Amino acid sequence: MLEAIGLAKTYHSPVGLNFGRNRPPPVHAVRNASFTVAPGKVLGIIGQSGSGKSTLGRLLVGLEPATSGRVTIEGQDASALLAQDRKAFYRRVQMVFQDPYGSINPQHDVLETVTRPLRYQGQAAGPALRQRAIDVLERVGLRPAERYLQTHPHRLSGGQRQRLCIARAIIMEPRYLVADEPISMLDVSIKWDIIRLLKRLVNEQGLALVYITHDLATVRTLCHEVAIMLAGEIVESGPVDVVLDAPRHAYTQALIAACPSADLTLRGLPVGLEPV
Amino acid sequence: MTVFILQRLWFMVITLFVMATVMFLLFRLLPGDPTATVISSALQPEAQAALRASFGLDKPLWQQYLNYMVNMAQLDFGFSFHTSRPVAEMIGGRLLNTLALLLPSLVAAYLVGALIGAFIAWRRGGWLDTVCVVLATALQSAPVFWVGMMAILFFSLKLDLFPVGHIITPGREMLPGLAGYLDADVLHHLALPFLVTFSYQLCFPLLLMRTSMLSTIGEDFIDLARMKGLSERKVMLRHAMRNALLPLATTLPMLLGWAVAGSVVIETVFSWPGLGQLMVSAVERNDYPVVQACFLLSAFLTVMGTFVADLLYGLLDPRIVYE
Amino acid sequence: MRALWTAILQFLRVVTATPVGRIALGICVACAVLAVFAPWLAPFDPMQKHYDGAGKLLRIADPSFKHWLGTTSLGRDVLSQMIWGVRPAMLVGLVVALGSAVIGANIGLLAGYFGGRSDNLLMRFTDIVMGVPFLPFVIVMLSVFGKDLGSLMLAMTLIMWRASARIVRAQVLSLKQMPFVAAARITGASDLAILYREIAPNIVPLAMVNMAFALAWAITTEASIGFLGFGDPNVISWGSIIYDAFASQAMYRAPWWVAPPGFAIMLLVSAVYLVGREYERVINPRLAGP
Repeated sequence: MLEAIGLAKTYHSPVGLNFGRNRPPPVHAVRNASFTVAPGKVLGIIGQSGSGKSTLGRLLVGLEPATSGRVTIEGQDASALLAQDRKAFYRRVQMVFQDPYGSINPQHDVLETVTRPLRYQGQAAGPALRQRAIDVLERVGLRPAERYLQTHPHRLSGGQRQRLCIARAIIMEPRYLVADEPISMLDVSIKWDIIRLLKRLVNEQGLALVYITHDLATVRTLCHEVAIMLAGEIVESGPVDVVLDAPRHAYTQALIAACPSADLTLRGLPVGLEPV
Repeated sequence: MTVFILQRLWFMVITLFVMATVMFLLFRLLPGDPTATVISSALQPEAQAALRASFGLDKPLWQQYLNYMVNMAQLDFGFSFHTSRPVAEMIGGRLLNTLALLLPSLVAAYLVGALIGAFIAWRRGGWLDTVCVVLATALQSAPVFWVGMMAILFFSLKLDLFPVGHIITPGREMLPGLAGYLDADVLHHLALPFLVTFSYQLCFPLLLMRTSMLSTIGEDFIDLARMKGLSERKVMLRHAMRNALLPLATTLPMLLGWAVAGSVVIETVFSWPGLGQLMVSAVERNDYPVVQACFLLSAFLTVMGTFVADLLYGLLDPRIVYE
Repeated sequence: MRALWTAILQFLRVVTATPVGRIALGICVACAVLAVFAPWLAPFDPMQKHYDGAGKLLRIADPSFKHWLGTTSLGRDVLSQMIWGVRPAMLVGLVVALGSAVIGANIGLLAGYFGGRSDNLLMRFTDIVMGVPFLPFVIVMLSVFGKDLGSLMLAMTLIMWRASARIVRAQVLSLKQMPFVAAARITGASDLAILYREIAPNIVPLAMVNMAFALAWAITTEASIGFLGFGDPNVISWGSIIYDAFASQAMYRAPWWVAPPGFAIMLLVSAVYLVGREYERVINPRLAGP
């Protein structure tokens, strides 16, 4: 189980030539965030731009150090684990980024992209690695995988790229996955494919998924619990149906009112889009 | 803005300091004895020692360094190995001669090059564009000293329009100071090297301005200016050119470096008595104090030019001042 | 490195796409071939002195069937000298361009990626080197270390990396922000692995463009050094041919001696420059602003 306890992140602007006069005030990107995610469960973190949700995602994965508070993985302190053995940590925790265009190195083809994590972890290229790549590509729906291996990312569509990013994230079989707005840059028609894929992976692998988004419509389908973020703070949290049907905080109510499709129940979904 | 200027000035000082130090080390840590040409081993040991002492070469290295830096700060470059005269005396006039050739041609090249580049970009295509680009590329690629020689061959020898070299007709004396350059004879001698340097240096601003204009013209704000009803000329000059000028400002230091390098060979071709020509003849005679002084002076010109360019750029684009 | 190979193939594809690119690249390749096969292609030994029927030295002879470009003031065949003159131009040019590209790229990579104090230090150092006047510095180095090709190549490489370093660093700064770098970081990869496996392959095209322009500048400088008489005395270069012509004051009488080397330099340098520009046009979208 992944647990965040009182996480906070503050950014200070650099001193600069004015020697501290007229400095912009520090930015409290995340204030006192606490939550837990259990294996096989999905926590949705919902907020608008600037709410601090992406920063929170980066804190969970260790891309940035927290100003205060901590993250624990199965009881152990995450920063201690990182300091001890980075590679081991990243075999347990992974991330999918928002931008499917920028998060793939344009110089690498699909095979290289998906096997990079294993290569960095010390595994040598070869038929075994290639087979693992094929397996994971098939699992994310890039079939037939052999056809994709030599392709370069600029030839793939946004949806295919994001599947590739997910494949890259799960090739190391992590137990905890953070997805930072994975569908916000995709076409509407593709969004649901990715959501279904994530739901399937969570069920199949028992992943603990933190799903960061500003899009309420997908939350009910995918998440078990949600937390609403406003200006760095979690203003409301709880099981997804409770929060969305009976919001208590004014901001949550405003969010739901602003999003027409937040009201989507299973009955309203187009055929074939039930969570698989 | 003052902080910006002070920063740049301080950096200039450090740069020159580093270069002076490098020069010191280069000439002291030479394999062999750099003064062998002057202090010939045929002399008596006492005479050798005396000569060495007069050049300060008998003291420990760090003390030599200290003396050297103190002298540099006072613009005392020592004595020439060749003429035994103080170096500072020799290079003063030379520096002016180099500047008399360098500065007008650089300024003119930039202005004319930018204007032509802007004009042909504005016309967008056609035979004039192709001709200018081909000529500019060819002229930029041709070695400037060779162009100078061809120019002498054609304009001086065949057409007898200009003198073959030097700054003044042999036998005549040039007036000291800036007044000396206002002499018709001197200007007549200046003309051909000026034209050659000018045409060589104008290629880069021309091509750069053309490219810069072509991409500026594609921007929306140009169409907006046209729709406001401004005349073509106004749109081109006031709106397009001002924005297209920025890359030219950033590359001015680079062009200055080219100009300083070019002056060395041009002065040699035209026997123009400037810093470059002095440096070349000093190297041929192993006259290291003079070589060193010429180098440091060219470095000073380059660094000064960069400073001025930074200042101009700071005026054009206030953003970088506060970075 | 596979990235290098891909970049070279892309370079060839881009440059041969336009007629200008094809001609320019053709000229460069022709010069390279000439340089390699000079001993076999030149009609005579370039240092060999020729005599006329009466046994007199054939000084500054007009072009003839035997000597297509006539002879020098010492009776040497100009055409042979011209052919041999390609060698130092190409050798010095390529070595210096490659050396300065590699040094500059690495400095740019390290400074841009690690930032902070090392960036500051490296960039201040680069700024100081930027202030060095190039040709005077090379001349000083030659006067101290001797006038041979090795010293020349060293002196030039010591300075020419400066432009490359700045440009590569700028690109690294923007590449550093891209999500694929963050994605690499969460695999446990070390900083150096990320720098050279993820970022470096993306700067290779830009570094190659710089290398092309550096090559053009190196060839020009090598010719200038030869012209000033500071070239390797054992090597015939186009610059040194012009130096001989200039020193013997024969330029007035023998345009066929003086003109060809200059044309050759102009041709080769234009070709290299155009190749660079064709490549740059595709891989570097030009922006008018700073």
